[in-house]
Amino acid sequence: MRRQGTMIILVVLLVAAVLVAVGVGAVWIPPATTIRLVAWKLGMAERPHGVAPSVEIILFQLRIPRVLLATVVGSALAASGAVFQALFRNPLADPAIIGVSSGAALGAIAAMLVTGGAFAGGLVVPAVAFLGALAAGLLVYRLARVGPAVQVATLLLAGVAVAALISAVMALVLTYSGERIRSIYFWLLGGLSARGWESLAAAAPLAAVGVVAALGTAGNLNLVALGEERAAQLGLEVERFKRVALATGALLAGAAVAVAGVIGFVGLMTPHLLRLVLGADHRRLLPASVLGGALFMVLADLAARTLRAPEEIPVGAVTALLGAPFFLYLLRRQRREAGARA
Amino acid sequence: MRRVLVPELLSMEAVTAGYDGGAVVREVTLSVRAGEVVGLIGPNGSGKTTLVRVASRALRPMAGSVRVAGTDPYAIPGRKAARLVAVVPQELAPTFSFTALEVVLMGRSPYLSPWGGGEPHDYRKAREAMEAAAVHHLADRPLEELSGGEKQGVVLAQALAQDAPVLLLDEPTTHLDLRHVVGIMETVMGLARDEGKAVLAVFHDLNLASGFCHRLVALDRGRVVAEGAPEEVVTRELLRDLYAVDAEVTPHFATGRPTVLLGPPLSPAPRGTFPLAHVVGGAGRGAPAMRGLAALGYAVTAGVLHAQDTDAVVAERLNLKAVVVPPFSEVDEEARREVIALMRRAEVVVVCDAPYGPANVGNLVAATLVAEEGGRVCLLEQVPVEERDFTGGEATGLWRALRERAAVARSYEELLAVAAPPS
Repeated sequence: MRRQGTMIILVVLLVAAVLVAVGVGAVWIPPATTIRLVAWKLGMAERPHGVAPSVEIILFQLRIPRVLLATVVGSALAASGAVFQALFRNPLADPAIIGVSSGAALGAIAAMLVTGGAFAGGLVVPAVAFLGALAAGLLVYRLARVGPAVQVATLLLAGVAVAALISAVMALVLTYSGERIRSIYFWLLGGLSARGWESLAAAAPLAAVGVVAALGTAGNLNLVALGEERAAQLGLEVERFKRVALATGALLAGAAVAVAGVIGFVGLMTPHLLRLVLGADHRRLLPASVLGGALFMVLADLAARTLRAPEEIPVGAVTALLGAPFFLYLLRRQRREAGARA
Repeated sequence: MRRVLVPELLSMEAVTAGYDGGAVVREVTLSVRAGEVVGLIGPNGSGKTTLVRVASRALRPMAGSVRVAGTDPYAIPGRKAARLVAVVPQELAPTFSFTALEVVLMGRSPYLSPWGGGEPHDYRKAREAMEAAAVHHLADRPLEELSGGEKQGVVLAQALAQDAPVLLLDEPTTHLDLRHVVGIMETVMGLARDEGKAVLAVFHDLNLASGFCHRLVALDRGRVVAEGAPEEVVTRELLRDLYAVDAEVTPHFATGRPTVLLGPPLSPAPRGTFPLAHVVGGAGRGAPAMRGLAALGYAVTAGVLHAQDTDAVVAERLNLKAVVVPPFSEVDEEARREVIALMRRAEVVVVCDAPYGPANVGNLVAATLVAEEGGRVCLLEQVPVEERDFTGGEATGLWRALRERAAVARSYEELLAVAAPPS
């Protein structure tokens, strides 16, 4: 009951957050107007009377693509985090912390430079970002694995080292970017400002594939959480599955990073908080993370563009402001538990 | 002859297996039939767990063949193999907080599709498995909040949910208290008996293996060194050869299964200038006196005892000099002479309140003789002599005569105080 209730609450909250987020800005657009305009665009109703054309343009050209993109990015990051946490058998895994997002960013930058600097250039940038994420993920996994499990300390160290290495390479690459350096830097900071339908069209298909794949890994992620040997005893072809799961997590992270830059902590916090409510079963946790990540991201982006309006705070800063203390708390707790066990 | 009809559910033929470093088990052949519980024993590093891994499709053998329910598990997908053979590991420590029911449901994963969340049928199987393992009342509790025994019950239920005909147990009771050890083992035996599962279980505890298994296989350095009924396998010789341990092996008083008794090594019998004490015992009445007197610094002798009597076994294990005659035979002339010689040399003769019958009343005759010569005699009299006289009055008469010349103690403690050597 609590489980279904949580899912319903998440859906309701997400819809409400989307309606509020598309309404808030220099011009307030009431939810009722938004609903009527969307219904008209979908061909389900007449065009509502008394709505200024500027409202229509603001809604459909600026706010709706941005908010929808926030849901896609948030869903992808949270699902990616849930997959990596199970795969690494470690609740501290997050695409940004383990270096996967950096790998994606490097891939995206390389693709942008080659294709001409547009961060919304079709599927090429997300696809190369995915490859970068996959490479970084494989590297960190290899480095962090000691015996049967991935240790917290080695995971964090390997993630930090790989991320630092990738940052250095990125800095080097950026010196060749000439005039485009400003726009790329801006993108790299992580944010959703000035993203339109093209970004959504680039990220959504990959994210959708990633989410479907992630939902398909859910049952087997449960087995992996028991330990690889036990998972094999329960019939899982572990090595093959790990490759699938790693690729899934990288695909999701790549899709998000390609359009929104590196945004941390969404993938860490969302599955974690939901696990406290729903328990660890990934067949519930993953769908809930998809919804919860979207909700978190929509709210974070709303905060990013309204708190100091008309200035914008990078949304990565908002998530880090919330997420970093949470991360430290988790780290402390895990170290304490490890200490108590030793 | 009926056994011939029972199918072999697990069989290994000349299996050699190991890791990069080389073979750990060599040419092992063993089989487990439906309804049979077979125990794998052997010292650390003898290859027990390696064999379990071979049977569970975790370690492909370098040579030889494995069949689980007639099928080579390495020739079929993991999901299919997991429907034929289930493993109960030593312990389970999931990364995240799963409830007991969620853990048991994972045992159904060989039957589930990736997107399926478990059908009512799977939930029913999981509930049944939890009932069989007596953990159904824990279904909604998080695994990490359970006690070690409850947790292991959940792990057993997870393996049972796989519905596999072959069950492998890798030291399943190592971390458990006695109640849960017995609970888990009884569940496993019941599954073999009632559902015809073939069970292969690794044990460190030889008493557990001997008590609960139909058959044992002993491994040493990767080879089978003994195989058969527990009483054929668990012997003093095996303990010495495999574990380099000198320990008692006695049949369980009721089941007859061999029982291993461990304790600190016995100190060698004192020799040389120690004062001598002689104990007349029988039926276990003499053993505490023998141990106590030895602890007081006496070199203890004993007799006449009947072979296989508890006191005779204790005297032998304590390395005492003892006069022993065959079971139920009377004390003959030679034995009487020997025991009188021992009594005369002794500082003190302790006569315990054993039951006296025609076979051992000669001891009382000898003790009376020595007492009349002026020897120091102590009697232990916790039970009145009339209640343990099976001679029709002769023993009672001798005991009363002895009482005239002896110190009488009502307990072992008092006896040791009375019989203490002069300091």
